[in-house]
Amino acid sequence: MAQSSQIMPARNVRTFRWLVTVCALALLPFADTGEATAAQGWRIDEAHTWIGFKIDAVGFPTTRGHFNHYSGKVLIDFDRPAKSFTSFTVDSTSVDLGSQAFNDFVKSSPLLNAEKYPTLSFISTQVEKLDSRTARVTGNLTMLGVTKPIVLTVNVDADPSAKGRTVAFVATGTITRSEFGMAFGAPLIDDALEITVKTRALTDE
Amino acid sequence: MNKGDVWPLSLRLVHWATAALVFAALGLGTYMVQLVHDPAERFELTQTHKSIGITVLALTVVRLCLRILTNAPKPEPAAPLVLLAAKLAHVFLYALLLLMPLSGWLMATTTPVRVPTFVFGLVELPYPLSPDLTTYRIAHTIHVVSAIFLASLVVLHVAAAIIHAFLWQDRTLARVWWRRSPVA
Repeated sequence: MAQSSQIMPARNVRTFRWLVTVCALALLPFADTGEATAAQGWRIDEAHTWIGFKIDAVGFPTTRGHFNHYSGKVLIDFDRPAKSFTSFTVDSTSVDLGSQAFNDFVKSSPLLNAEKYPTLSFISTQVEKLDSRTARVTGNLTMLGVTKPIVLTVNVDADPSAKGRTVAFVATGTITRSEFGMAFGAPLIDDALEITVKTRALTDE
Repeated sequence: MNKGDVWPLSLRLVHWATAALVFAALGLGTYMVQLVHDPAERFELTQTHKSIGITVLALTVVRLCLRILTNAPKPEPAAPLVLLAAKLAHVFLYALLLLMPLSGWLMATTTPVRVPTFVFGLVELPYPLSPDLTTYRIAHTIHVVSAIFLASLVVLHVAAAIIHAFLWQDRTLARVWWRRSPVA
């Protein structure tokens, strides 16, 4: 992360990496609003943001999908990291699996039940630094009206090709969907649902 | 060739429509399961496959009613063993034309991954049973084995038609064709 040390001389690299890790989940896209998202001077690079999921099943290809509409916010306390906070909300009707018929089915009541539960949300409760490039973000995920804690691992990487400060985040985690009342398809469809959030945060500072 | 020598028009229409749909269903079913690894494409093709299959079932029911209501032409003269083989092959074909879509319907009904079936996007197919993994697996096995038997019988059926038309040069194929004879 030589790039980081060059662009942030006032703070040491360790602190910087920790802080951007805190941002990882929070700095989620705001494509829906069309606003340039800013939190502590950071904004989301919407062209490099993706919120998706993956699930395996017996007798069916591994299914990958993503959400097209979402919003989020972040509050970062640089001096007291434990006070940092992030949240995001995903429009469950914007699920995209590459086929309208497939989308309609996944939005229907056995799965996302988007008519009754139009959003999925995540609110962080704890951020822990694991190493210089990895953090663990714990938070509450609300899906189908059920709120449960989940844990996401966030990898942080700088992009030396970009101007200014640019940090890419990849957050991954696995949830047990039946805990949220989504038991459809078991045991042919796995209970484990993998979540991935890829984004890139920018600042001109 | 008088009127009694050919199959009624209704049965000829149903025969060729069924033939086209069976080729489509067998081909699509094999293709989507063996070669399609994109989930969205697999999902959509499965819907189309189910629509074709249920149409085959409806056509077969109509066909059996027509067989009862109309007179079949007398078979072309042939050895008793050939006539018996033809009879058996046709009975098994009819049975498989029922068993294939019925086992598919049973699969769609009992699978834990129950996806509504809208026949060609128009009419929702009812699911009379509850999801049950054991029943689904039995139905799946029946469906796959039936497909192999049906494909084999189709090959035999086509081969027999070719032999009748071109080797023995009788009117077996002509009777189900549109003109007096498919061969000049």
